[in-house]
Amino acid sequence: MEILEHLATGFAAAGTLQNLMFCLIGVVLGTLIGVLPGIGPIPTLAILLPITFGLDPLSSLIMLAGIYYGAQYGGSTTSILVNMPGEASSVVTCIEGHQMAKRGRAGSALAVAALGSFFAGCVGTVFIAAFGPPLSALAQKFNSPDYFALMLLGLVMAVVLAHGSVLKATTMVLIGLLLGLVGTDTNTGLTRYTFGIGGLWEGIDFLPLVLGLFGIVEIIRNLENPPGERTAISTRLRDLWPTKQEFREAWPAALRGTGLGSILGILPGGGAVLASFASYTLEKKITRQPQRFGHGAIEGVAGPEAANNAAAQTSFIPLLTLGIPSNPIMAIMMGAMIIQGIQPGAAVMTARPDLFWGMVASMWIGNLMLVIINLPMLGIWVKLLSVPYRFLYPAILLFCAIGVYSTSTEPFMMVLMIIFSIFGYILLKFGCEPAPLVLGFILGPLMEENLRRSLVLSRGDPMIFLERPISAALLVATVLMIALIILPQFRKTREEAFQEE
Amino acid sequence: MLRVRSPQDLGAGILFLLIGIAGIYFGRELTFGSARNMGPGYFPSIISGLIIVAGLVTVGKSLAVDGPPVERFQFRPIFMLMLALAIFGFLISQIGVIITAALMMVVAAYARPGVNLLETIVFAVCVSAFVVLLFVYGLGQPMPLWWNS
Repeated sequence: MEILEHLATGFAAAGTLQNLMFCLIGVVLGTLIGVLPGIGPIPTLAILLPITFGLDPLSSLIMLAGIYYGAQYGGSTTSILVNMPGEASSVVTCIEGHQMAKRGRAGSALAVAALGSFFAGCVGTVFIAAFGPPLSALAQKFNSPDYFALMLLGLVMAVVLAHGSVLKATTMVLIGLLLGLVGTDTNTGLTRYTFGIGGLWEGIDFLPLVLGLFGIVEIIRNLENPPGERTAISTRLRDLWPTKQEFREAWPAALRGTGLGSILGILPGGGAVLASFASYTLEKKITRQPQRFGHGAIEGVAGPEAANNAAAQTSFIPLLTLGIPSNPIMAIMMGAMIIQGIQPGAAVMTARPDLFWGMVASMWIGNLMLVIINLPMLGIWVKLLSVPYRFLYPAILLFCAIGVYSTSTEPFMMVLMIIFSIFGYILLKFGCEPAPLVLGFILGPLMEENLRRSLVLSRGDPMIFLERPISAALLVATVLMIALIILPQFRKTREEAFQEE
Repeated sequence: MLRVRSPQDLGAGILFLLIGIAGIYFGRELTFGSARNMGPGYFPSIISGLIIVAGLVTVGKSLAVDGPPVERFQFRPIFMLMLALAIFGFLISQIGVIITAALMMVVAAYARPGVNLLETIVFAVCVSAFVVLLFVYGLGQPMPLWWNS
């Protein structure tokens, strides 16, 4: 069994005391920040990114993955207990989870969420182990035109699945692409859009951009519209176990959610948010007692929670095998890998198997830790919700500033962060969601490079994209997606799907 | 007479137009090249052009489809936070991380009305000490601690 061999390599690499510790720290820190209302995985990852830079590549990636899962689980806890989604993918958990909490079943909802996520996490890990190598082999066949077509499809999917206006999401991607081109042109060595500023020669730094757009804008948003009084529903540990009846209702939903999430996670543009929405819709459709939905149906917690965790894991597959991030969170992970000096892609698996498999193994370990840590520590997370915001935000701001400073001591980096905070603030006021921008920003230089290479290959003939079977298939899929957006019927479904927030 | 139906979209559209035009304007000296031999200006020009088109469509939409109003801009939070970041960026190399961190947090606290100065200072000093312990001693990141280092 080759899979077992690979996984053994992985567990050996990830199972060292040092890596286990960083995984633990990541999971705890991620939960700690993720529990705070209004702070989802993107700002959490952005805020905590800098503390991983000093570590060696594997430890830092393990820690980041831990932070991501922790943030996601923290978001579910907040949703269930205070009806405040910390992030888009736990919006659905809010609907049923909080109703359960109101009926005194908060403990059970939290336990089901944790166990469902853990189960999904196990399946997701096996999924990556099984599909990683064949996809990676497929990736070897990819040429520049195929990469370009794949990125185009990914961006289009990301736009279709983004919240709010398609037009604005498209433009956000385009602006991201443009920002990604700032710096030295790899082909000619000429600098573009640098305005003679030395700090821009190597491009716009990733960290000030994400911290400004997400971390700091989030603070300003909360300061302008203080969130209402949060009253957490208290829960005792002995109420944690689901009843037999609840268990019987929950496990098939978790199973379906896992399957759905694993598949949706791999798709370009897919990920945790899409998976949890899709799973909730599915559970609502197939249930025999639709009247229970909206009043604390446990399937509506188990399914989406399992789905978002499965998707969170399988969305690493395109990043690790093709080197292409499928959603904004993966774009941040990719940014982190590049800062660590790793170019994500098929080469990672062959050149650094310990890194690839270690990360896969650490995903499972991280999920296990989540279950072990979070259920007993629930009381602490709930207490955290009562920390006044007037203490929280200056500390978060300081963290952002130190984070940027620790990667570059140039005062210009702080100026850059200020510029992106103001830009993000204006975007917020004009109703533009900046998440697709990050995806464009990461893909900008890659897309240009692959377009250039393709057209050099074909001597300027754009037909090359249709002559190669892989790129032609991807482009057909892209066109289909665009057609879907334009079709009025689909638009309506899409709007309804996001309506449930 | 044209009526703005969606102020948010109008704002966004104008912002997009400005960005697209800036992309073309500041990239005007980059050679465009041809598809066969793309110059450094090829891809940026196409992207900027698309942003301008999207901006025009958004502006058009704002006149045709009803949408939400623009929320009021509040200057105090953003101004104080930006000031705090600027203080951090420009003072840390002069007076060290400990004082800078505490100072920036006190400034940031004034982004909200009704500040309790004593409480804020005590809190700022504690967090600044914690952060120094975490980053400088825990994670081993080099930073000047005081003004003379």
